[in-house]
Amino acid sequence: MQILAIRYLRDVFFIHGTSTGFYPTFAFTFFTIAPYCLVLGFVLPYSLFVIRTENPDYPGTRIYIIDNLGDVSGGALFSFVLVFLVTPLKAVFLANLPLLLATYLLFRNSSRHGPSIYIGTGLTFVMLVTGIFLEPSSLKPPEGKLVHYSESRYGRIEVRENQEQFTLFVSGNPLYGNQNLSVAEETIHYPLAQLNQAKNILLISAQGGMMAELEKYKPASVDYAELDPQVADVQFRFGLIKRIPGLNVIHQDGRAYLEGSHKIYDSIIVNLGEPDTFQINRFFTDRFFALARSHLTRQGVLSFAMKGYDNYLAEPQRRKLSSLYNTVTDYFDHVLLLPGQKIFFLCSSQPLNTDIPALLVQKGIHTRYIRGYYYGNLTRERIERLNALIDPTAPKNRDDSPRLMRLMFMQWFAKFDSSPTGFIAVLTILCLIYLMRISAEEFVLFSTGFTVMGSEVLVIFAFQIFFGYIYLQIGMIVTVFLAGLLPGAWFGDKLRFRSKQTLAFADGLLIALMGLLILALQYGDRLPVTFFLVFGFVVSLICGFQFPVALYLRGGDAPAVTRTFSADLIGAAFGTLVINVLLIPYCGIIWAATGLIGIKLCSLIVMAVCNGKSK
Amino acid sequence: MEKVSRRHFLYCSAGLLCSAVQANAFWPFSVEAGAAAGPADIRGYVFKGDAPKKLWKWSREGFFYTKLDNKVVMCGICPNRCLLSPGDRSVCRSRVNMDGTLYSLTYGNPCSMNVDPIEKKPLFHFKPRSKAFSIATTGCNFRCLNCQNWEISQAKPHEVRHHELFPADVIKTAQRTECESIAYTYSEATTFFEYMIDTAQLARDNKISNLWISNGYINQKPLLKLCSVLDAANVNLKSFSDAIYRKLNGGRLQPVLNTFKTLHQQGVHFEMTNLVVPGYADDTEMVKRMCQWILTNLGPDYPLHFLRFFPRYKLDRLPSTPISTLVRFRKLAMAEGIHYVYVGNASYPEGNNTYCHNCKKLLIERIGYFIPTYNLDGNRCKYCRTVIPGRWT
Repeated sequence: MQILAIRYLRDVFFIHGTSTGFYPTFAFTFFTIAPYCLVLGFVLPYSLFVIRTENPDYPGTRIYIIDNLGDVSGGALFSFVLVFLVTPLKAVFLANLPLLLATYLLFRNSSRHGPSIYIGTGLTFVMLVTGIFLEPSSLKPPEGKLVHYSESRYGRIEVRENQEQFTLFVSGNPLYGNQNLSVAEETIHYPLAQLNQAKNILLISAQGGMMAELEKYKPASVDYAELDPQVADVQFRFGLIKRIPGLNVIHQDGRAYLEGSHKIYDSIIVNLGEPDTFQINRFFTDRFFALARSHLTRQGVLSFAMKGYDNYLAEPQRRKLSSLYNTVTDYFDHVLLLPGQKIFFLCSSQPLNTDIPALLVQKGIHTRYIRGYYYGNLTRERIERLNALIDPTAPKNRDDSPRLMRLMFMQWFAKFDSSPTGFIAVLTILCLIYLMRISAEEFVLFSTGFTVMGSEVLVIFAFQIFFGYIYLQIGMIVTVFLAGLLPGAWFGDKLRFRSKQTLAFADGLLIALMGLLILALQYGDRLPVTFFLVFGFVVSLICGFQFPVALYLRGGDAPAVTRTFSADLIGAAFGTLVINVLLIPYCGIIWAATGLIGIKLCSLIVMAVCNGKSK
Repeated sequence: MEKVSRRHFLYCSAGLLCSAVQANAFWPFSVEAGAAAGPADIRGYVFKGDAPKKLWKWSREGFFYTKLDNKVVMCGICPNRCLLSPGDRSVCRSRVNMDGTLYSLTYGNPCSMNVDPIEKKPLFHFKPRSKAFSIATTGCNFRCLNCQNWEISQAKPHEVRHHELFPADVIKTAQRTECESIAYTYSEATTFFEYMIDTAQLARDNKISNLWISNGYINQKPLLKLCSVLDAANVNLKSFSDAIYRKLNGGRLQPVLNTFKTLHQQGVHFEMTNLVVPGYADDTEMVKRMCQWILTNLGPDYPLHFLRFFPRYKLDRLPSTPISTLVRFRKLAMAEGIHYVYVGNASYPEGNNTYCHNCKKLLIERIGYFIPTYNLDGNRCKYCRTVIPGRWT
């Protein structure tokens, strides 16, 4: 119901075809998800209440352990099985079948055969099944028709046909089409026109028409790296890109591929979207540019693009371009920015020529868009003005300090004429009110939830930086961050000596672990993958360990379970938000990890102060 | 089987009905109703108390406004007719009420200026191959969700980097860059009316043409004043539906139609652009109605450009317009009787060329902004001597 509601109600509350700002998005997701979250939050303490009506000594920790068991198995089932096999509503159907069965079994034997139970269970089943049948219609576009729909590990993939035009949508965004000649020509010819010979080309992602333009250079090899195999498949299937001689499709993260390859290219063309996620930001950082430089010939050209502008370069965009420019100039002697619907960065060790149409004429390469529009759109004044607007003092974009993401965040707010200040203020006030009302033990769990989720984000980000986006391994990291909770909680429950000192000791361990993470990150990709897995497991183990100890200290009754559980979850929510949105983009990953140490130190101080008072 | 009690029956029936209602609840929200869904009107609002404390160098008293009681003023430039109390800022963000006097804050401070080929405006029947010196300040009286210049159209004057270029400087720059015309463009030129009029007057004195590139959302009186110095215009007819105007653009249709009629009556050469937004402005019947209105009210000679939509600004979850839709609309408009219909933002060479409406021969071949073939003799077709509408020299 919720998934369908989100899909259908979007076009009820928002104008069809528009993207939305932060506050409307927040309100929409809050109200559509709230019913589910409220029920979910209610079920856990209520289950304990129900169980204790029959078994008054039932330990609160056990319900936490069982809940975690469900989290781990559900997470693993979804990440490693269902995502490969079924669509979201089918996954919901399958995941809810055990819940339906369990609910049915909750009724006493004598009342299980009553008509209301049959009808209730039947109706719930019918509703779940109905979801599967309503799923295709929930995706039906008003413009044209949906000719392909699949769910990949990385997002929802749709191909919509409108007359002769095919458009590839990924997670609701129109990404590529088969009629965007101008983008194809600009992306390919701007860098390749600069070369004397274009024998070996690497394309990191590609879109409609690019291969046809590439073919004009008769390259010996074209390596096309596309992270999501399904994106490449549908692009070939629906004719967005064509198979050309020498084409080699690589289903791998482009950066990870380059790190493992020794091949030298005449040009590396990065055709990715804006760096609004950690994953994409990695293709616009110092380390990536160094890597690209080391895989280029002496005259080789690296090319990438940012969103363009028509007639005025807005401030956040100017800062973004400046940051990129300053980052890339450390590795290339000549960097040229070409304005337009996209702003192209051409980077080389050789001087670059802005007269692209003349270069193409010399090479005998025919284009339609560049030939007709280049001189009118890219006048010398426009090119010079853009290059002059670059701020040489703008900070560089680094892997461990993704400045571009922060600027993208600002740009998003600027686009919707809003500011995050109000949200941050309200959230801070709510957080302070909450923190003032909780006990020391709850604060420990709050800070632990904060640390575990914060460190999970940090570890995933660091892993991506060093090893690339490898779905299964990232899925495993997420899983171990849940899996450690289980033995931790079991151990905490069995521990004979449970006191505030135990909690403080665990806090100390978490601080030491975060310190270890900071040290380990200096080793970069020399770290083994198992480090990240072991780290995640140990952090969650300690978090799981603290829960029963804190619960024991709080008394273990139903309200205590509710409050301790809430503290953990609220801390986790804040941890995700603060690390993702504030600490990493604004301070970088090292300072974000230091921030986590800070929050755990606060926890230790709170424990010490409360301990002093109780004495 | 156990006997069902009345209470059981009622419980079960209620449960069944609830489920049915939930399932049915989706029905009216079907995706077919997409264009009708969401807010129906996105028109802008007056920014209360948002005027600066002091006027800056680039302020001038407004030309068309009415003083009302209690120092309230009503701006008369566009159909928004903003009612501004002292300290308020207009919908277009460029005009403020300072103690009972209306001021424009965009006089001589363009934030964007470029030399563009005239074909880029697009103006296909006005001095082909010439260059236009294009200027814009911030501000717009619309709120188009797909605005390609939103960084300046939806900004206040003090929020952007700007140049200082008073009317005399504009003329000098246009002359220096060998531009035959000055285009008031990019954002919405109507919002910097005073700057535009003064510059246009000076330009006319210096034999430079004036081009108004606009959404056409302007009142009759200022438009008549503008027509007295105007040489050509490109006015965007965003759709032929008032509902779409309110929903996607935050404006109304009728004032724009009135603008076309006035330009026609005043003998100003103008061309019309229509951006074909998929799911909104791609309805064949609507396009047919639009063409019929043009023919009835303006005649067949004003060029009409169907432009291809690309996802932009906030309207970025839609696909681009299929080229065949534009080609179909071009054929439809020509079949209805409009003589010169073009296709823009798309790779469709035929849709860029000008063909004589009488003998159908190729008059002007355009490859982008490049014109390799030109078969006009003055303003006549070289082949059949028919007068081709436009200002050719």
